[in-house]
Amino acid sequence: MFLTMFLLAMVYLVFLAVLLAMDTSQTVVILFMAGFMFLQYFYSDKLILSSMGARIVSENEAPELYQMVSRLCAIADLPMPRIAVVNTSMPNAFATGRNQKHAVVAVTTGIMQQLNRSELEAVIAHELTHVKNKDMMVMTIATFLASIAQMFVQWLPFLGGGSGRDRDSGSNYAILFLVSLVVWAVSFILIRALSRYREFAADRGSAIITGQPSNLASALMKISGFRVPTQDLRRVEGPVSALFIVPAISGSSIMNLFSTHPTTEARIAALQRIEQELEAV
Amino acid sequence: MGFWDSILGKTRLPEAKTDRLFAISTAAVTLEAKLGLKPGGSAGVCIKPMESSRYEAARTEIEDLLKLSFKETGTVYSIQKDEYNYIWVILNDPDFDDLVTNIQMICQILMEQGFGTQLLAAVYSFRGDGTVYLIYNFKLGSYYPFVPRGDQRDTSVEFRLRSLMEKELPLEKDEAKWYPLWGMPI
Repeated sequence: MFLTMFLLAMVYLVFLAVLLAMDTSQTVVILFMAGFMFLQYFYSDKLILSSMGARIVSENEAPELYQMVSRLCAIADLPMPRIAVVNTSMPNAFATGRNQKHAVVAVTTGIMQQLNRSELEAVIAHELTHVKNKDMMVMTIATFLASIAQMFVQWLPFLGGGSGRDRDSGSNYAILFLVSLVVWAVSFILIRALSRYREFAADRGSAIITGQPSNLASALMKISGFRVPTQDLRRVEGPVSALFIVPAISGSSIMNLFSTHPTTEARIAALQRIEQELEAV
Repeated sequence: MGFWDSILGKTRLPEAKTDRLFAISTAAVTLEAKLGLKPGGSAGVCIKPMESSRYEAARTEIEDLLKLSFKETGTVYSIQKDEYNYIWVILNDPDFDDLVTNIQMICQILMEQGFGTQLLAAVYSFRGDGTVYLIYNFKLGSYYPFVPRGDQRDTSVEFRLRSLMEKELPLEKDEAKWYPLWGMPI
């Protein structure tokens, strides 16, 4: 995890250095993007809840869910998040919100039906670990410069080619295009790797908080077995998909290197190792 | 849990803080004088069970120790699982000081065995106009009141208790952390 973060930071530093050296007035674009990403991060709870059709539930509506979450919060010393329910048969859960105070943990009605209480508890502990690990912030920061690079790659051919006032700016644009392309490609792989590490970390957190790694393992098996090709997938793409319990994007055809979540087999194997560690101490 | 632990995704559960657990012993007098609450004769420790054979060993050790120590005090104990799969060690004893001492002992054994992180709460019941619980949260190291009435909490009683007991008992200042414990077997 540290190495991935370090490499990503290096790539971004190089990218920034190139941007500064170029002195091409891209500052406006970057500031605009920064503003956009910040808003997305700041209102992540509202945006994601409404895009997922999640509804915040009160303690009276879901007393068992509240009791389950509040006990886990007491064990892990976390503030109580808001709890939301998504009315869909697709079994999934996610966490969002810019910080611990604004965190929301959401579960679908499908996951509540398919999992027993201990398994659901393990899934919620996984989501609480995402909150505790500040994954929303980490992933937003990690994807920020990558999205700028991506934007350059997509728009520079039109901007650069068209004006052609002098040779200098033309070659500048070419270099910027190439650098952006490399940064985009490399950071894409690194971000996906980071996302998978954070999933493993959240699985581990769940195992430690619940004290029972096998509950999460059996929950993962149940969920992944039931996974159905889904509705509109573009809605849940992007940094946000990192915070789901299982990827909402059907991942079978995508290579492991590019996926946001580790394979279920790898996660279960990791949980098994944690179980052995707990036994050994 | 430090900032870098979070960023690098390392989960460590906070250790239990038991230093202020004992404060209930003196506060019981004030509770009776000011609020008319008498000790309810029962108390319990709630533990999140672990999947480990070591845990089973600790459990038998606790049971053995409880049997020994309870011959002297006459405390009756039972170990139960609640509907959320948490384990409760429940003690019944009309003598409040014996309850406090024995709860303290159970926590000590669990911590010595390395299960301090799995301790959720210790609960003392009091009787007045209905049952009033004082819950000790091991992660916060403080008490808070829990007054269930049907499926609702009587928050007015809880807040009254806080304003009257603030000096006698280390009460949790952040009410957002006054987590209810529904379905307690006490």
